[in-house]
Amino acid sequence: MRAGAHGHPRKWLASGLLVISCLVAALSVGAVHYVHALSQLGDTASSNSSLSFEDREIAGGNSIVVDQRAAYEARALIPATDAYRVAVGPNLREKTELTEGYVASWFTYFLMPRRPADDAQWVICYGCDRSTLRGTFETRWQDRKGISIGRVR
Amino acid sequence: MNAHSIAGILAFNLFLLVVGVAVLYGLRGWESWGELLRLSGFAYMLGVAGLGVIFVIELVVGVDLSLATILATGACLFALAAGVGRLLGRRLPWVKAVSGHLSPTAAIFGALAVVYSEALFRSGRLAGLYEFDGWAFWVPKAKAIYFFGGLDRQFFEQLPGPSYPPLVPALEAAAFRFMGSPDVVTLHVQFWFFLIGFLTAVVGLLAPRVPSLLLWPPILLLLAAPHVLGYALQAQGDFLLDELVALAALLVALWLVEQRPWQLAGAAVFIGAAMSTKREGYMLASCVAAAAFLASWHHARILWPRLLLACAAAVALTVPWRVFLVVRDLSRGGAEAGGVGLFAHADRAWPSFRLAVSSVFDYHIWLIVAPLLLLAIAAAASTGAWRLSGYALFLFVLAIVAFTWVTWAFPSLPITKNAALNPIVRLTGSLAFAATALIPLLLGAAWRRGQEMQ
Repeated sequence: MRAGAHGHPRKWLASGLLVISCLVAALSVGAVHYVHALSQLGDTASSNSSLSFEDREIAGGNSIVVDQRAAYEARALIPATDAYRVAVGPNLREKTELTEGYVASWFTYFLMPRRPADDAQWVICYGCDRSTLRGTFETRWQDRKGISIGRVR
Repeated sequence: MNAHSIAGILAFNLFLLVVGVAVLYGLRGWESWGELLRLSGFAYMLGVAGLGVIFVIELVVGVDLSLATILATGACLFALAAGVGRLLGRRLPWVKAVSGHLSPTAAIFGALAVVYSEALFRSGRLAGLYEFDGWAFWVPKAKAIYFFGGLDRQFFEQLPGPSYPPLVPALEAAAFRFMGSPDVVTLHVQFWFFLIGFLTAVVGLLAPRVPSLLLWPPILLLLAAPHVLGYALQAQGDFLLDELVALAALLVALWLVEQRPWQLAGAAVFIGAAMSTKREGYMLASCVAAAAFLASWHHARILWPRLLLACAAAVALTVPWRVFLVVRDLSRGGAEAGGVGLFAHADRAWPSFRLAVSSVFDYHIWLIVAPLLLLAIAAAASTGAWRLSGYALFLFVLAIVAFTWVTWAFPSLPITKNAALNPIVRLTGSLAFAATALIPLLLGAAWRRGQEMQ
């Protein structure tokens, strides 16, 4: 008989019960949620793969930019080395609750390496008041929602 | 979003692994190739942490993070670590065959983990960048490093979170370099690698110390937790921070029990990387360090100097970034109501504490990870594993205090679990991940000691 065999039977029982309780709890909760996890991950994968290229690339911007074409036209028209500014105004005919507050910061992310600058000639006009743009606005692209892209001369 | 990007990101992670293997050789070495295979996740995470910290230092001193720089940095770290290993007399094993024993239990749980990993990979492979913080500053900072080479003054001053250290953006930019373009969709796969690296590191470190039946269930529980399912692959710093802090916490726990120098050295590397990942890294690192100091109170004369040295080494890794913030006169990222400001908002103390506790114990966020940790602590304590159980308990209590402080010290944060308004849920991830690494160790200690008592 080993030393301590009679000294710690209660402690041994208590620790054994605690360990087994942990194991049973982790296995039972884990088993239920593991199956659910695989199902949820599969659903997410299906949902992601069913997106169009544009929806996937614009992603978070879909709830901000109103018109995906505006984002792609801005990237096509504004040279990578040029600066631009986003002007938001009251003439936007369609918008989400996030458009006015976040459209400029989303374009900062999307249009890099183009730099945002307050005095840039390129303007992405989200219903802006063109008379406040400090120059003549030459429209290069526009849609029916009140978004236009152009240069100020 | 194409095979080229996938191949690039795979190459980048192989690169991290190779560099990490050299760091492992310098820190610890290995006695067999099977042991290296078992510790490959740990080696990978050492590569992530080591290279990430060096990238931050390079960016701070003005080095452009081009592909050539990245490769040269990896080569230098590889050579340095290999040189240190040789100096310390480490030898590679003679036997070329990889030998190892895999129990049926480990094989079954391992298979479940592989199935999960594959499902997680598919879920992130074509994910868009939806998260606000992701497109608002984490990924733009990475793009800025990718396009302009360094810490571009305009973007790093004007984007939100200027005080956040750039370890994650630097690693993301390096991934872009290997992919050949700033592919923000495939970037999610990088965070899959981080998570898998963390899991394999924990399994590799604990496998010889804990029976498989006690090791795997807590890990699979974490993987199935709703917060992990929903957010693990987001292109942000939160989960990498959790993974680094958890590995540091695990290595410190191992060191408290076994006192091998490589364990403390590894913890210092991970703590340094955690502090270079997010501002919260400082707070969480303090929790790990304080818990270690308290748990080793009775052997302070022997253990505290070593702990102090490790803490000093970890802090030293973050000094360049702190100097950079001062030089550029950027926000240091301190609390809104720091110091005596806490007393002016004393009414927030109790709600902040309640929010912290309810987030940690929220079944719909972390399932039963926190209660399981407390049970495991009780099990280990009941068998007299005081130092280990004391460390885990101190870590748990200090983390709760820290989470409370975050909501209390930032009066602009509402008392809510809404992730868009309060970071509390993201913060609690560090404790959930650390708990997942510590639970098997605690259970293993309780089981082993219980059998010795029998």
